[in-house]
Amino acid sequence: MNYVEWLRIRNCLRIVAIILAILVVLAVILRVSVSRYMSSEAWIAHMAMENGAKETHTVLPDGTKRMIIDDPSDQTHIVVDDHGYAGRHIVITEPSSRAHREDSHVNVGSVHVEESRHGSMTTTIVDTNGAVPMIYYMAIADVVALIVATILAAPLAREIDGHLEIALTKPCSRVRYALGVIGVDVAGIVAASVLTVLAFYLCQLLFESPRLDFSGINARAVGMGIALPLAWYAMLCAATTWLNRAYGAVQGFAWPVALLIGVLAAIQPSNVVTLFVHDVAWALSRLDPLSYVSMATPTSNGSIAYAGADFGLRFSIQVLLFVVYGALAVWQWQRVEA
Amino acid sequence: MSTITISNLRKVYGPIAAVDGFSLEIPGASVFGILGPNGAGKTTTFKCMLGLARATSGVVLYDGRPLVPATLERIAYVPERSVLYDWMTVEEHVEMNRRAFSAFNPARAFELLELFNVDRRRRVRALSKGMRTAVMVALAFAQSAEILVLDEPTGGLDPINQRHVLSLMINEAAKGNSVVFSSHQIGQVERAAEQIAVMDRGRLILQGLVDDLKGDRKIVEGVFPDVRFVLDGIANDPRVARVDRTERIVRLLVTGGANDIASRLSAAGAMGVRILDLNLEDIFLYAVSPATATTDIVAKGSSS
Repeated sequence: MNYVEWLRIRNCLRIVAIILAILVVLAVILRVSVSRYMSSEAWIAHMAMENGAKETHTVLPDGTKRMIIDDPSDQTHIVVDDHGYAGRHIVITEPSSRAHREDSHVNVGSVHVEESRHGSMTTTIVDTNGAVPMIYYMAIADVVALIVATILAAPLAREIDGHLEIALTKPCSRVRYALGVIGVDVAGIVAASVLTVLAFYLCQLLFESPRLDFSGINARAVGMGIALPLAWYAMLCAATTWLNRAYGAVQGFAWPVALLIGVLAAIQPSNVVTLFVHDVAWALSRLDPLSYVSMATPTSNGSIAYAGADFGLRFSIQVLLFVVYGALAVWQWQRVEA
Repeated sequence: MSTITISNLRKVYGPIAAVDGFSLEIPGASVFGILGPNGAGKTTTFKCMLGLARATSGVVLYDGRPLVPATLERIAYVPERSVLYDWMTVEEHVEMNRRAFSAFNPARAFELLELFNVDRRRRVRALSKGMRTAVMVALAFAQSAEILVLDEPTGGLDPINQRHVLSLMINEAAKGNSVVFSSHQIGQVERAAEQIAVMDRGRLILQGLVDDLKGDRKIVEGVFPDVRFVLDGIANDPRVARVDRTERIVRLLVTGGANDIASRLSAAGAMGVRILDLNLEDIFLYAVSPATATTDIVAKGSSS
C-alpha cells in the first residue's frame, strides 16, 4: 500500500548516502594528509631522542606492545601501552613545572586525559580508547534526520495534491493508509539517523577506533536523538495535511519560523512590547519539538549531562507531540475529498 | 456479476448541487455509458460511488452492500485527468498496483502497455497526455476487477488506441464484469454501451437501452431558400416533438409519420427534405439542450 512512500524514502536516502559518502571521502583525504601530524609516535620518538633518555620495548602476554621511556635528566618517565587499533594508554610522570596548569580532566571524542599531582610530580594519563559520547553522534545525526524529516513531512499533502484518486481507491481504510505512510517515513528518518551515525563512525574509525557505549547518558542521547526528528516530522506532517494547498510553503518556512520563535522566546523582555512578544513566542515554542531539546553540558567530573529540566519529561513530551501531531494528520486525512 | 445501485445521490458544494437526487441501477455484465454536458455531475457521481467524495445524502450499493475498503479490491477506476506520479516510471506504477491489489496481473499490464505503445521504463513526466491515459487504462484493465469505472477513458488517445479501449470495455462486459464509463465522444458511447444515462445539472434526465431510446423516432430535416420561412402549422402537429431552427435549416423530431411530415415540409417550400435515423448524439442533444425555436415561436413566424 505504501510503495510510493517507500520510493520517496529510497530517493531521499540515496541523496543522504551520497552526501555522507562524500564526507567519508573527505575524511579519508584528511586522514592521509594529517597522518604524520596526528600520530603520537612522532611525539614519543621525539621524547625518546632526548639526551639521556632510555627506551625499553617489551611485549606483554596479551599482545600489548609496551614502550618505556625513562629520562632521569628530565625526571620524566613515560609508559606507552600500544593496543594497536584499539588505542593507546600512556602514563607520563614528569615534574609539575612542565605539566599543564589548566584542566585536570579533558574529554575530546574518545581521548580521555586525566592529570593528577603528587607533590612536585604530576602524572598524566592519556587514554585514546574512551567511550565516545553518543550525544556527539546524535547531534550530527539529528541535523541530517531533521532535514530528511522536513523533506518527507508532506506525505499526505502530496497525495491530496493530485493523487487522491490513487491513494483512496486502494483497498484499505484511510486510517490504515495514513498510518502506513507515516510508519514508512518514520523508518526512513530513523534510517537517515543510522546512516549518519555509521558514516561518522567510519570517519572516526579512520583516525582511531571509537568505542561506543549505549548505556546511561548515551542511551538517553540516542532516545532523544530519535524522538526529536520524529516529533518534528509529525508536527510538519499535521501542518502540511491541514494546509495541504500550501504544503511547500510549510516545509520551506518551518525552519525559519521555528528558529525565530526560539530566538524570540529566549530574549529577555525589556518593556511591555518585548514582554508581549516574548510571551507569545514562548507559548508557541511549547508546540515546537525543538524547544524540548537541551544542549549537553560537561559536568565537573568530565562526563556529559543534559542541562535544564528532567530528561524523562522532555522525552515524554517529544513522544506525546509525535502522537498528537500524528493523530491530527490522520484526522484531517480522513476528512479530505477528491 | 456486480450490480451497482445509486439511490437519491446528492452532493452539494456550498450553494451548488453537483449531483441532485440522482438514482440509477447499473446492471452487471454490461457496458453502461453516462453522458452529460460539462458540469453535469458525472465525475462527482463517480467520486461519490468510489468514496472519493462523501455524498451529502443518498447511498451507493454494490450488490446491495455499501462501499467498504475491501470492495475497492473489486473496482478499477480511471479518473478523468492524470493522477499518476510524474517522478515515477510506468514500471513502478505497475509495481505499485501489484502491491495494492491482490488480483492485479502485471503481465497483463505490460501486455496492454505494449498494445498502447507505451515504454514501461519511461517516467510519467515524459509521457504525453494520451500516453498517461493509456497507462491508467492499462493499470485498470490489469486489475482483474469486477467493476470498472472509467471517467473519459479515451481522453487524449489517438483513434487506434480509442478503439482498443472500446474493445477492452466490451470484452470485460463479455467476461461478466460491469463497465461504467463517461465520454464526450458520443460515437464511442454508441459503439460500446448497451445502456446509457444522460445527466444534466446533477440530475438524471434520460436512461435506457440505446435502441429503446431511439425507438421509432426520426428526424425530418428541411432547407428553405430564405431565412424567413413559414412552417404552415407543421410545428403544431402532435407527432412533432421538437423543432430546431438554424438559419435556413429546420430539424423536426418526429415520433411517427415521418414521410407525411416531410411532404408537408416540402409543400411549405423546403428545398431539400431528408428523413434521418435518430442517433445517440441527437438523443443526447435533445435531452440536454433546449429547442432553438419553440413551436410557439415558429407558429408566430408562420402567422406573420
